[in-house]
Amino acid sequence: MYYIRLFATYVRLGALGELEYRANFWINLLQSILELCVALGGLAVVFSHTDNLGGWRPEEILAVLGVYFLVGGLIRVLIRPSMVKFMEDVRQGTLDFTLTKPADSQVLVSMQRVELWRLADVLIALPVLGTALVRLRVELGLAEALTFGATMLSGGLIIYSFWLMLSTCAFWFVKVENIQVIFQSMWQAGRWPISIYPAWLRAVLTFLVPVAFATTVPASALSGRITSSTLWGSLALAAALLIVSRWFWRVGIRFYSGASA
Amino acid sequence: MTQENPVIEIEELSKVYTVTEREAGLAAAFRSLVNRKTRDVRAVDKISFAVGEGEIVGFLGPNGAGKTTTLKMLAGLLHPTDGRAAVLGFRPWERNRDYLRRMTLVMGQRNQLVWDIPVIDTFELNRAVYRIPETDYRRTVDELTELLELAPLLRKPTRNLSLGERMKCEIAAALLHRPWVLFLDEPTIGLDVTMQRRIRQFLVEYNQRTGATVLLTSHYMADVEALCKRVIVIHHGKLLYDGELSGLADRFAPFKTVEVELQNGAGGRPLDEYGEVLVRSPGRVTLRVPKIETASVTGRILTDLEVADLTVQDPPIEDVIEQVFSQEATESEEG
Repeated sequence: MYYIRLFATYVRLGALGELEYRANFWINLLQSILELCVALGGLAVVFSHTDNLGGWRPEEILAVLGVYFLVGGLIRVLIRPSMVKFMEDVRQGTLDFTLTKPADSQVLVSMQRVELWRLADVLIALPVLGTALVRLRVELGLAEALTFGATMLSGGLIIYSFWLMLSTCAFWFVKVENIQVIFQSMWQAGRWPISIYPAWLRAVLTFLVPVAFATTVPASALSGRITSSTLWGSLALAAALLIVSRWFWRVGIRFYSGASA
Repeated sequence: MTQENPVIEIEELSKVYTVTEREAGLAAAFRSLVNRKTRDVRAVDKISFAVGEGEIVGFLGPNGAGKTTTLKMLAGLLHPTDGRAAVLGFRPWERNRDYLRRMTLVMGQRNQLVWDIPVIDTFELNRAVYRIPETDYRRTVDELTELLELAPLLRKPTRNLSLGERMKCEIAAALLHRPWVLFLDEPTIGLDVTMQRRIRQFLVEYNQRTGATVLLTSHYMADVEALCKRVIVIHHGKLLYDGELSGLADRFAPFKTVEVELQNGAGGRPLDEYGEVLVRSPGRVTLRVPKIETASVTGRILTDLEVADLTVQDPPIEDVIEQVFSQEATESEEG
């Protein structure tokens, strides 16, 4: 309850800060729409030659694209800003202020910044997802909605844990922005269902940089393609990564307080 | 010094950093990627002291003496390599929430205020983080606003504040939860004289009102003189002095300053025979005289010259401190 209230405070502060940067919202919206148009154009080109890509129908791939934008937007609203701030704090020594607060340092670091104006990405994802649903002729019942919610949640947690682990490396290397570029480029691959990629890349996108769980898996939950083993696998991986990233965070903090000046 | 009821108590506290070393140049940079040379740096070397409840203690030393490292260990940010410390009965680096709720750390060179939002909203954030009850929060904000004259600043975004204004707000933000122990690392750095004085007055008043214990570092002797009866001096990580500020001169300054006002000027007489001339203007001279010779020299001056006034003083505290560190530096070079 304490952390929920604290999170609400951060959201409020995020909103306050952004009123000062209203232009950002519109520019971001425009940029996201352009990006969406390019992505849709790509889909159109592909499906003018074929009506089936690696076993995926156009509307199914549209669902992947919708989820890609939705999750990408949520990452940029909720996860990335805090992680970027955290790395700045390590470099400038202002992390000390966070560590002297009587709250869980990982939780505090993970929710310290919310960039609401990036909700633009989330907003434009909704019509794409809606269109995909209509084309798929999916009756979104309670079971489907729950499955979709569960895969979205576990996908989000997987990405969060992954990103936290990358950021935690800042304790040792101080400058790790470059590591995040790797994530960004891998993330791009998530706009297509991963089964269309060659096996080695599929393995990378599933196990090394677990993008698949945040895009392909929730999208297949929507189109009813998901198997129960994928669903449970996704949930299990989320739980495991959450534990591992927390452990890694603790190791990082211990290192920080042991060696930093 | 022994304390009846120590709030801060440290014993043989040490911190050793392992730093990587490399020579200048690109080749060396590449070499260090593969083969790192490391060296141990003793930032804090077996320091012991205790601070009683409600005391304001000045923590002095040149850059790199180990002041900040010690403060960070006490604030729970660093694990010591060796030794023990207790603050309010807690071991700081365990970062017990009950401890963190009762202490605060202010770093003059770093900000905790959120850059783009009004100051009062950062206060709100700290209220949420520290779970400060609404009524207490209101009362504390009102009190701090009055003491630090924050009223015109609270609604402004941090980035629009001057350095001094920001520091006042930083300090207020750090005190919202009414900590019992304050660690202040150069709280007045870079501020103009008026603002420094303002913050000093505030700290004295805050200390009197709340009885909070304060450990502060500063490079400005004016801060130390105004705030601290007691100082702890460290250099090269070692404790050099712990006691009354006034005792520092007795202990470390081998000189006294003799100020002489002459009735008819000195008539062009060289005054070097009495001591080192520090300042000389017509009718007035300031001399530096070895402490043991003070009596005989003043006697000679009084018989030789027509003196209107003569005062003997301890040298300014800045000079004493400088003396301490330069002495120590030569000693350690010799040793």
